[in-house]
Amino acid sequence: MKARLRFRLNGKVVETEVETHWRLLDLLRDGLGLTGTKEGCGAGECGACTVLCDGEAVNACLMLALEAEDREIRTVEGLVGPGGRLSAVQRAFVEEGGAQCGFCSPGMVMSAQALLLEDPDPSEERIREALTGNLCRCTGYKQIVAAIRRAASLRRSEAGEGERGEAGGEG
Amino acid sequence: MEGGLRHRPKTLDEVFRLREREPECRLLAGGTDLCVQHRGRLGETPLLSLRRVAELRGVARSRPDLPGAADLLPGGECLRIGAGTTLSALLNETEIERGFPALRAALSAIGSRQIRNVATIGGNLCNASPAADGAPPLLVLDAAVEIASREGRRLLPLEEFFRGPGRTSLGAEEILAAVWVPLPFEDEVSVFLRKGRVKMDIAIASLALRCRRGAGTLSGLRLAAGAVGPTPLRLRRTEALLEGASLKDCGLVREPGGRPRAREDGLLARAMDEASKEIAPIDDLRASAWYRRRLVRVFLERAVAEVFAQ
Repeated sequence: MKARLRFRLNGKVVETEVETHWRLLDLLRDGLGLTGTKEGCGAGECGACTVLCDGEAVNACLMLALEAEDREIRTVEGLVGPGGRLSAVQRAFVEEGGAQCGFCSPGMVMSAQALLLEDPDPSEERIREALTGNLCRCTGYKQIVAAIRRAASLRRSEAGEGERGEAGGEG
Repeated sequence: MEGGLRHRPKTLDEVFRLREREPECRLLAGGTDLCVQHRGRLGETPLLSLRRVAELRGVARSRPDLPGAADLLPGGECLRIGAGTTLSALLNETEIERGFPALRAALSAIGSRQIRNVATIGGNLCNASPAADGAPPLLVLDAAVEIASREGRRLLPLEEFFRGPGRTSLGAEEILAAVWVPLPFEDEVSVFLRKGRVKMDIAIASLALRCRRGAGTLSGLRLAAGAVGPTPLRLRRTEALLEGASLKDCGLVREPGGRPRAREDGLLARAMDEASKEIAPIDDLRASAWYRRRLVRVFLERAVAEVFAQ
């Protein structure tokens, strides 16, 4: 059974038809071809499918696609700014080596993004707490935590310079 | 009937009408349990989402104007928590931060940020897992649940809501609308302790304690344990043993390392024995019944020590 769905995805209004049993993850990957969001466990344990829904981190594997109606969804593809410029969080992950196999990275980046929207200068404890729902089986957590600390300071200094920022890349 | 998300009503009246027409529909709140339980079969599961029902969300001080309220919530003023309120929203409530430390500790132990951002308190209770972390602290707070149907609303003590693993007292046409929690006393203390394998894991065992400090004694003591029986359990016999006890009665001493210890001849040691008889844990993939009994004993020892330390 199909139904119409209208929502905002990465800053643009999307109107599409979805299967009523599709999860948001199915819509993103199979329906819209946005394969940055990964399916790890499919049960809300690993966080590889983390996206932002109205600025809050959620598991796209535990949300029905139709529940996105009238909401604002942001995926890892939506963090990139004009001209393909990576967001502060993405640059920090690159600079700190916060990725090994890379499968958990989009989810880690989205959880980090959600945290920094809420708290621009999080303690290490808060960073670790925010990553409770994101598993890295290469166990590269140390670099990931360092990347988020760096991202926080990058974002703060960019905000301080009054830069145009990451247009379309925020929350 | 075809599965998937069939309905997204905005009012409870619509919910009742739709359920009358399509009783096969399962109610979907946050979906963090349901989507896992029906993983790969969502196409065969007809669902009715409650996410848009605004009247199910929110926290407010209120006086219950419902049948039975005078007996079940005798204090009058309460916190009314809408069943559809997310765990993250509850953790952001200053009222809960200030007045209900055990509830707050339990809610923050549930799942991950991603889960808490969508999971609801009503879903946690209606899923009726014996390990539901929301249940023990609400049981010790003497919470009551507000159940709604087309016929009207009724109140039920939370303890009577749980009937077995995955089973509640909700009738086929009923829905959990809210949880009512009496406001805390000035000298109220509450503690929640749990053990999981890792932080995000389901509890192996948990214990909630609430009491008033009175004149250095445990008064109005309530105890409840999770994951050690077919439902979350109030430990009434253990409560009765410890009611009115002073620190001296309890026989709590500090070991050289600073860890509190119940002396064998003290009241607390007897209460720990009673608690391990009062629970009914099973062996499963998470832990043995033996280990769960040990955990509840140690939790009780630590929780009582914490009350006297506060």
